[in-house]
Amino acid sequence: MAGNPAFGKRLRALREAKKRTDPSFSLRRFAQAVGISATYLSKVETGEFPPPAPDRIKKMAQLLGEDPDELMAVAERLDPALSEIILEQPKALADFLRTAHEQKLTGEEIKELTKQIRGKR
Amino acid sequence: MQVKYLPEKHIRDSALCLLARYGEKFGPVERPPIPVEEILEAHLELQLDFDDLAKRLGVADVLGATWVRERRVLIDQSLDPTQYPSKEGRYRFTVAHEIGHWELHRHVYQAGANQPSLFDGTEKPSIVCRARSGKDRQEWQADTFSGYLLMPEDMVYLAWEERFGSLEPYVAVDEIADLTAKWGLGEDDHKPTVAAARELARVFQVSGQAMQVRLIGLDLIRTDVPPPELFPHPGAAQQHM
Repeated sequence: MAGNPAFGKRLRALREAKKRTDPSFSLRRFAQAVGISATYLSKVETGEFPPPAPDRIKKMAQLLGEDPDELMAVAERLDPALSEIILEQPKALADFLRTAHEQKLTGEEIKELTKQIRGKR
Repeated sequence: MQVKYLPEKHIRDSALCLLARYGEKFGPVERPPIPVEEILEAHLELQLDFDDLAKRLGVADVLGATWVRERRVLIDQSLDPTQYPSKEGRYRFTVAHEIGHWELHRHVYQAGANQPSLFDGTEKPSIVCRARSGKDRQEWQADTFSGYLLMPEDMVYLAWEERFGSLEPYVAVDEIADLTAKWGLGEDDHKPTVAAARELARVFQVSGQAMQVRLIGLDLIRTDVPPPELFPHPGAAQQHM
């Protein structure tokens, strides 16, 4: 099983920063709060195991006070809620995403576009 | 590595001081169970991980290992209490044992090693703790530390009094004889654990065996018939009735 050392390292750094002032961020208590075993969390953090399922990553982000999308991105996971959103208008949204991809929009441009769409509503 | 002799009182004081320092930082620990993982991870700021230690180190029966320079403790994954709840007591004893090495022995391994090294998984651990090896002095000291940290005497006396109404010792000779007749000798040829020890073990989240050793040490459980007191001193009757 190939792990994801970048995700593991990031997760451990975030948890350790919290742990210094709040002992409830110990390996075991954090694993239990997320709903996984301590061994599994340990091996995810050392990069031996891959990141857990998206809902667990979201839970981790929530406990750590971090942006779930950011943690999900490091984990190279897709929020299943996003697939559901696409399925609501599969053709139009797929076209929208493909076009953005083909036009090689940068992150900044996508942010700008998002801002414009928000402004219209 | 041979470490120097330490009087038991010194080991006991180290364990109680550590608990007090943790309390100053994170709030006093007034009741059992003692938060050993929090002491190791949050107070001492060591990394705690689980792994298959027999595989990693190529030695059988390893329960815990400490890498002093890397500030890292590995516990064998067969003791993970989130997967094997029955291992809770042994797991916590092992964590406290590794804390004992950190508190009592780390300087031995830090000496002359001021260049930091990154843990890449190939470093040999400073200290390897096996399940049943002939216990050398260093292992004995860490075990002793673990007992004092997990079961501070004030808390043990209080729990005993709350449960049994007084500090009167329990003479366990008959119960041990019955248990031995029924089940044979306990694990590792220890005496079988009596009900009182098992009950308090749940409060302190330690093994029945560890609790019994502590209770015998504090003279709350007696495994020998007390000799008749030829010259009872005043107050003795009240204490031992």
